[in-house]
Amino acid sequence: MATMGLEPLAVLGLAAVIAMAISPRASDGTTRSIAALGLIAALILAAGSQGALTSALLTGDAAARFGTGLCCLSGLAALAILRPASAPREAPALILLATLGASVLSGAAHAATLFVGLELVTLALIALTVLPRSAPALEAGYKLLILGGIGAATLLMGLAFAFAATGELTFAAWSSTDRLVALGAALLLAGLAFKFSLVPFHMWTPDIFSGAPAAAAIVAGVASKVGVAIVLLRLQPQMPATGIWQTGLAALGIASVVLGNLQALRQPSLPRMLGFSSIAHSGYLALILASGAADTAQAVLFYIATYAPALFAALAAAAILDRDANLTGLRGLVWAQPLTGAVLTLALLSLAGLPLAVGFWAKFQLFSALAQAGTYGLLAVAILGSAAGLYFYLRFTVTLFRRDGVDFPRPPHWQEAAVLLAAAATIVGLGVYPGPLYALVTASLP
Amino acid sequence: MALIALILLPFLGGIFALIAGKAEPTAARIVAVVFLFCGVLALAWTYQHAEAGRWMMMTREPWAPAMGMSIILAIDGLSFIMVALSLALGLLTVVLSWNATDRAPLLHATLCWTVAASNGVFLAFDLVLLAFFWELMLVPSFLLIAIWGHGDREAAAIKFLIYNAIAGLGLLAAVFWIGASGPTVSFDAFEVAERGLPPTAQIWLLLGFALAFMVKLPVPPFHAWLPDAHTQAPTVGSILLAGLLLKTGAYGLFRFPTLLFPQGMEVLAPYGLILGAFGTIYGALVACGQTDAKRLVAYTSVAHMSVVLMGICGGVHFSLMGAGIIMVAHAFSASALFLLIGAVYDRVHTRDLRELGGLQRSAPRFAAAFALFFSATLAMPGTANFLGEALVITGMFQVNWLYASITLVSLVVSVVYGTRLFQRIVFGTPRKAQVTVDLSFRELGPVVVLAIGTLLFGVLPQFLMTGLDPAVNSAVEALRAATP
Repeated sequence: MATMGLEPLAVLGLAAVIAMAISPRASDGTTRSIAALGLIAALILAAGSQGALTSALLTGDAAARFGTGLCCLSGLAALAILRPASAPREAPALILLATLGASVLSGAAHAATLFVGLELVTLALIALTVLPRSAPALEAGYKLLILGGIGAATLLMGLAFAFAATGELTFAAWSSTDRLVALGAALLLAGLAFKFSLVPFHMWTPDIFSGAPAAAAIVAGVASKVGVAIVLLRLQPQMPATGIWQTGLAALGIASVVLGNLQALRQPSLPRMLGFSSIAHSGYLALILASGAADTAQAVLFYIATYAPALFAALAAAAILDRDANLTGLRGLVWAQPLTGAVLTLALLSLAGLPLAVGFWAKFQLFSALAQAGTYGLLAVAILGSAAGLYFYLRFTVTLFRRDGVDFPRPPHWQEAAVLLAAAATIVGLGVYPGPLYALVTASLP
Repeated sequence: MALIALILLPFLGGIFALIAGKAEPTAARIVAVVFLFCGVLALAWTYQHAEAGRWMMMTREPWAPAMGMSIILAIDGLSFIMVALSLALGLLTVVLSWNATDRAPLLHATLCWTVAASNGVFLAFDLVLLAFFWELMLVPSFLLIAIWGHGDREAAAIKFLIYNAIAGLGLLAAVFWIGASGPTVSFDAFEVAERGLPPTAQIWLLLGFALAFMVKLPVPPFHAWLPDAHTQAPTVGSILLAGLLLKTGAYGLFRFPTLLFPQGMEVLAPYGLILGAFGTIYGALVACGQTDAKRLVAYTSVAHMSVVLMGICGGVHFSLMGAGIIMVAHAFSASALFLLIGAVYDRVHTRDLRELGGLQRSAPRFAAAFALFFSATLAMPGTANFLGEALVITGMFQVNWLYASITLVSLVVSVVYGTRLFQRIVFGTPRKAQVTVDLSFRELGPVVVLAIGTLLFGVLPQFLMTGLDPAVNSAVEALRAATP
């Protein structure tokens, strides 16, 4: 079948429109089912389609399809852990819109699609964040609204500078050595860093993780990151090799690794710790991008793909435990709820980068990319970061095994259990046999 | 395939033990024993089908070729002895925890997984696979301490894992540098050894490897995790830590520096000797000041493993052979001491030397066992420990008389702590806590096995020495070739 590679986007958009249209009348279950069907259909289309349409605005190449697939998976995970209590009926439609936005981002080849994709993610994310209308959710929403707005403005300014200098809106414009373009590149990087939650543009991230529904955290932590990472990968070859871009990425990456890990060290709340850890993981990705290693793209895509299941599982556990997901509330979880506890253990070990969990291979890719590029300074930062990371992930892991357990609110719902099981299977399966993922990633380079 | 089975059987044993334990708690231990025993059979099979030449058997299977990784397992006498040790200690710990009631299926599964991961370390020759098992080994040990430990077990477990995992990062970074250094990405240790690495790089890479191995060994100043981990770990955990985990560090130092970085080893070995000399005196002196029996034995481990480090860094035939024998002998004696102290603790709930005493009247079997293994730790002739220490000292005299004398001094100090421990627990009148129940048959079995091992290898070391010979010889040759 001759395809253009854009069908997943069409399906996602259609499903979002339907879900939105029926949400006031139809039952919660119906809306969710339609959203889930849309996501699964888009996932299948993304996996199955072969074509690579390249228009000036959007490409449907392998990287775009990889990104779309990962976004759909994170959409499904978000949908599954959406709890009725905190989720009005619009939530599934918002998840679809955010997924669509992130998918557009991963195919963006032009300033316009870049901006549209980013804003689609951010706006849907803001709405998703404030849905519970609790004080922490509103605070997170406001932060995202204001900081996201600043980020978008910075980004637009950067795009405008490049357009002013070259009269070109495709990504090719950035290869110009014009001073104005270099300034634009700095602004563009700052704008993208907001969405990628790199320090010092990270302030909204921990709040989204702790205040907003876990579904919003999944969208912010995986879907939007996949999109932005692929954009960064596409921009990378256009940028002059020794310029503001590499230096900026390295500085942002070092700051994120250091600060993210440090702030996570003493964090008693699981979601908030995950928020800071997500900043640190963005930092590692920035380090890979800054290193300019030959297989940067492989390493980045591999890293995100391995980070995703661990985050799904950890956030699903956080959603199940709701307000008790902190160091005291997690005591003895493994004995009280073996499934949730064991999978959360696996997820934490994966984030810490210990073997048999796929996170080990992520650490492998990170270190080997930095070692290959010969950037030993960045390698040292990455090593110190993962060393610090061990402490806070293990602090939570140990708590799960304590004997002075507490009472847990409720067992996992079947959808949450499905997310937990699927994530665990992915973490262990790819942890033992990472070859297939690596092959997929290698076939999906932008 | 037999080599893969050596790793897979204990691993599957753990999983099936867990599954079987769900239905019938007592089934778990039987499953664990059966699978570990099958591991022993697989080991026997490799011995039967050993090929002539440097390696008894070698297996190469693709794993993730695109990432430059394959499964490369090889076994020689050294690896064989280590794997045999790990399976034996695995069986021993399962038998010892036969009547455990606290989450017994998970306990037995964890023991099996520890054995599986350490077998992986002893057999892996793809460097990524080595790093993989190296870090994997930490997870079950971490669980052993964190779930079944005493006292402040959470802190001890985290400390154990953080120390070792951070040190493991050194290994990991070095492995990636090696992988990226060749014409194609390859982590095959044999290929890297053949190709040779640039001498200056060898020093840095060896530092990365040595960091991981020396923390696990452990040599001061990298030892701070060990006393806590040992003290808080359950008895079976202590046995596996002392008998198995420390040995992976020693094995790593024995095997990889001379294989991959002979020139680097040439440069760094003197510093290793200094560290080892310091460690053996330090460990012995600190052991003298301990009041907790387990902590005391933990520090003696530091002292003995430092002697192993000296033996390896000495780089001559005698010292390497001695180091290899101490590795085995210490596994027996330290495991036995932890077992005995654990048994005392089960009865009187204290390990404080100031509260114990008078074992020889109330529990003669205990006393006899203590007597034997104390003599072993202070290297009494007739025990395998003596043989190892004697060989290391002989070798040290070929290297530098100063180091030889330091090792001798540490032996003298070991008499101090050994007799102190012995006197406090076995002789005298019972102070606060009196042990009235002697060793049970379930405890006696493992003790007898360890005693036989200690004495047998003490008087008939031929089997060990023939086994170690190829590894020792190639290490000596590699160092000789590297000498300018």
